[in-house]
Amino acid sequence: MAERKSPTAVLHEGPRALSDQQVRQIEGADLKEVLDVDIDDVIEYVHKDMRSLPDYTTLYRKYLKQRWDVYDLDFSQDKIDWTEKMTEPERQSFLAIASGFHHGERQVEIELPVFMIGAGEEEKLHISAQIEDEARHTVFFDRFYREVVGLQGDDIMAILDASFPWVSETFVGPFGLLAYQADEVRRNPYDERARVRYGTTYFLWIEGVLALSVMKVTLSYARWRGFLPAYYTGFTATCRDESRHVQGGMKYLQDAVRKDPAMIKEIHETLRTILILAGVASREVIYEPLGWTQDEVRMLMFQQLGRKLNDVGISLPPDLQAMVGSVQPVLAGG
Amino acid sequence: MTEPEFFSPEWAAAVRDALASGPPEPDRAGKLAMYWDFFDKVKAGYTSSWALGCRDLPAGTPAALFIQWGGGTVTDCRVTGPGDQQPATYVLGMDYADWRALHDGYDPQRTVMYRKILVEEGNILEFFKAIYFFTECLAVIGKVPAGFRALAAH
Repeated sequence: MAERKSPTAVLHEGPRALSDQQVRQIEGADLKEVLDVDIDDVIEYVHKDMRSLPDYTTLYRKYLKQRWDVYDLDFSQDKIDWTEKMTEPERQSFLAIASGFHHGERQVEIELPVFMIGAGEEEKLHISAQIEDEARHTVFFDRFYREVVGLQGDDIMAILDASFPWVSETFVGPFGLLAYQADEVRRNPYDERARVRYGTTYFLWIEGVLALSVMKVTLSYARWRGFLPAYYTGFTATCRDESRHVQGGMKYLQDAVRKDPAMIKEIHETLRTILILAGVASREVIYEPLGWTQDEVRMLMFQQLGRKLNDVGISLPPDLQAMVGSVQPVLAGG
Repeated sequence: MTEPEFFSPEWAAAVRDALASGPPEPDRAGKLAMYWDFFDKVKAGYTSSWALGCRDLPAGTPAALFIQWGGGTVTDCRVTGPGDQQPATYVLGMDYADWRALHDGYDPQRTVMYRKILVEEGNILEFFKAIYFFTECLAVIGKVPAGFRALAAH
């Protein structure tokens, strides 16, 4: 982690052009080498194939090569950084952001299996890999909260209970919606309209916008300060996993709209509900200790949403475009 | 004074009063004014109804708490049984044990996110446009004193 670029520098630099060598480094890095990968490059990598999305078998083969062992991470230096080097405002800001991901990973893990029922065979391979990814990410946060933050509990749910006080009341918006949409898909697994609504919440909003934004904020802080090496390594590897999830999810939505253009209405209606909820915050999160301002986080979210929509070819009607401007920077992900 | 029995007419009347008053000031503290402005705006214009079911009441028959909103308040709130079900905009269901957990302080957000309460009938996207209003109302309902019988069936 030699580079100490400002966390928000990429906001003003615009999209990066990745060289073939950088792509090879991101794709081929083993867990130890991930520490040397720049998170901004990984986020750029998420978008690399967005205009010509890879097929599900390709994504599955990438999963087999990129799978990492969450128990290989050593959090001992992170514990020192957390307790001895980080300030209390930095810790509180970090927890206010990371706790949404702690719970988000659990949510996206358990809500995904029902989506597999109505999927094609190759897509099922990709989804099964994604479920395993999300389970591993859940364990990653469980370890981080136990071994670094110092929360105590007998099992995964006990640690989730302990970190829940840091989760904003508005978390129930996207993640409650996903839970209910998953139940809708469970009852009618082949209802393509219900699947598209679910996919819009899960793949476009939670993974494509919320997750990548929160990753960027906490990881660029860690890289900038040279802190939390195991968190940086595991969560950057998580971001690389997310690239497959976002690409697979965008492929699903793109294919659904190409097959039936009326599906765009389902995407718009889902975004309308999401954007109403995203226009409200229940807590003030102080981002400055991590090197960000609220406006910069908001700008980051706009960029993430805009890039997904543009790359996949989904346009928004004027009323939804206006609602995007009211989005509050409440961060969570999965 | 004894607590009204859960899902009794007396309990429904107490729920009605509590919902009409809204979350008490101590519960409002700690959340941004923007959040409560949204809550108040939804409450003022909400005209939908909820049938909040309990699937396994110890009495043996399923029942629902029917709540009709209008004019910024609750216009109807009563317990309905199989014979007198009122059509509701949103029909939701929850098990007795989860109702009791909510009453004992379990978080209303996770009651939704963990699908302890589920929309069984109704448009989910429309329902969620008011989800912050709903979860705060669920918190209010959970705090209304109620007596819970032993859950013999479980």
